[in-house]
Amino acid sequence: MKLPATSSSKAPVKFRMPTADNLVPIRLDIETEGQRYKDAFTWNPSDPDSEVVVFAKRTVRDLKLPPQFITQIAQSIQTQLTEFRSYEGQDMYTAEKIVPIKLDLRVNHTLIKDHFLWDLNNYESDPEEFARTFCNDMGIEDPEVGPAVAFAIREQLYEIAIQSVASAREIKISKKGRRGAEHAISSKGGGNALDLMKLFRYNSSVVRKRKEWYVYEPIVDILSNEEVDALEAREDRNTR
Amino acid sequence: MAAKSPVKEPPGTSAVNPTTPLAPPPVKPELPSSSEPDVVNVPSYSRWFSFDSISECEVKFLPEFFDSRSPSKNPRVYRYYRDSIVKHYRENPSRKITFTDVRRTLVGDVGSIRRVFDFLETWGLINYFASVKTLKWEDKETKSSAASAESSSALKETSKRLCNGCKTLCTIACFACDKYDLTLCARCYVRGNHRVGVSSSDFRRVEISEEARSDWTEKETLQLLEAIMHFGDDWRKVAQHVSGKSEKDCITHFIKLPFGQEFICKESDSEDVDNKFFSINNPSDAVSESENVGATSPSKRMRLTPLADASNPIMAQAAFLSALAGVEIAEVAARAAVTTLSDVDDRASKGSLMRNTRQQEAGVASNGDATQNALARASVDASSLIEKEELDVEKAISGIVEVQVRKILGHFFCHIQL
Repeated sequence: MKLPATSSSKAPVKFRMPTADNLVPIRLDIETEGQRYKDAFTWNPSDPDSEVVVFAKRTVRDLKLPPQFITQIAQSIQTQLTEFRSYEGQDMYTAEKIVPIKLDLRVNHTLIKDHFLWDLNNYESDPEEFARTFCNDMGIEDPEVGPAVAFAIREQLYEIAIQSVASAREIKISKKGRRGAEHAISSKGGGNALDLMKLFRYNSSVVRKRKEWYVYEPIVDILSNEEVDALEAREDRNTR
Repeated sequence: MAAKSPVKEPPGTSAVNPTTPLAPPPVKPELPSSSEPDVVNVPSYSRWFSFDSISECEVKFLPEFFDSRSPSKNPRVYRYYRDSIVKHYRENPSRKITFTDVRRTLVGDVGSIRRVFDFLETWGLINYFASVKTLKWEDKETKSSAASAESSSALKETSKRLCNGCKTLCTIACFACDKYDLTLCARCYVRGNHRVGVSSSDFRRVEISEEARSDWTEKETLQLLEAIMHFGDDWRKVAQHVSGKSEKDCITHFIKLPFGQEFICKESDSEDVDNKFFSINNPSDAVSESENVGATSPSKRMRLTPLADASNPIMAQAAFLSALAGVEIAEVAARAAVTTLSDVDDRASKGSLMRNTRQQEAGVASNGDATQNALARASVDASSLIEKEELDVEKAISGIVEVQVRKILGHFFCHIQL
């Protein structure tokens, strides 16, 4: 399959989160002395590193965790930040990619499932804005859902961005020339991305087919306490 | 009842006073409307707060949202954070909300949320009750004593000016630059801790009045001076060393000490008169010079900064203190120090050292005004006359002694010959 010339001739860009803000999703899962602390939030990598310790201390103080958590939290954040920064400065290929984002998360009593398309080349995109709108539109009362949704989106975008860096590196290594580059992009990117040309051919319309609607519909469920407990127990069992 | 002052300002560190309920939403941007019948305390210095608008106070302290550097940090997002946090707090005003509670419910990066939260807390718009003060001190102990910024030692009863450089509360006096709308505490000003492109001469000194604190006994003052000599700038350790005084008290008291005391302290320590004299003379020389230079004209204020960088901690401290105390006080203090030193000098018996002092005095005199000059000259002449007399007396005495010795020797030889 021949890719349109534009996608393969696109120059590699420097790595960054394909969103308006260059924010890093940070996930924490620390267990010390029988206490488990799980958390997920977004971090601004341009904040000074002193902020990491301040944040760790603040969190430990607010949640009344034992003080050993401070260093562990700080270290974990720092590691993830360093990892993010190691990607910065490297190239990533961004062909015209529209990727599907799947949401499947539970926050307290709210269960959310959703599936939508996201344009990777839109550097003005804003997962936080999406999350805010989502919560408003779906009438979600629990204020903790918004950040979780934004985080999930960001995490997936981050994953995809990292993959594109890795694939860019592989392309350089393979050294098969332009042909090879095209081939690599199509094979790596093709799995997730949708080919715009296929979508918007002259004989197809932009409107989604009715039978596909259920796939892309957001589902918001409010769970009862027992269901929550059951789910939590299953999650714990899975992670251990 | 007049809607003029519907908010009660709790005095000092007293417990929460019963306050009058908030007035219904007024035309004045004084208070936000709260539909609940609960009473919410808002300190009087945060009267500017309103849900409907953003005041310049907020723009000043949280510039990141208003300088369009980042596309998602804009006033709308700021209002979203601020309004959510304040509403969250007001749902239950007697409960202290933590940053972690709040950031879990807000969509955005935790760094900015934390800064908004801290800003609101500092200004008493959230978590405003008497018990917060003790928590702030607790906070200090858990924070590391590293040089970097973020410790907010805000005491809500006193002034609310935060330094742009080190983000601590300004006490005594601060330096405001109207051109760029910056506020620097005295320390940051002296160190030149401001943005590139802003020069020291753009700043003007702003006094902040202080409440009188409890009295200091001699013992405590001595402890304070000892601690300062040992620990220098580390006020936390100084406060620990002085029993029963907080950091702020220590700093306040130290600044209020008469300048001469600094040097008298050094005097009593060392034993040798020479060493003592030279050691006092040299820093005081430099200090009085620097202070006189600083005192003479604002255009020379620039010179304070290079001195502040000097490795001599005393000079840096003196520069900082003189900036804090103001031009007139520094001038007077310098003169007082020099006159005290010249008194000490008269008691010493070395003539060459006296000459140094005289030069110094002459130097001081030349910087002062006309009447001071005349008096100084007169005193200089008087002391030189005294010196001459003393020398004459010494010569006379030595002459007498010589004669006596010769007499005795003469007798001695006579006896031997006999």
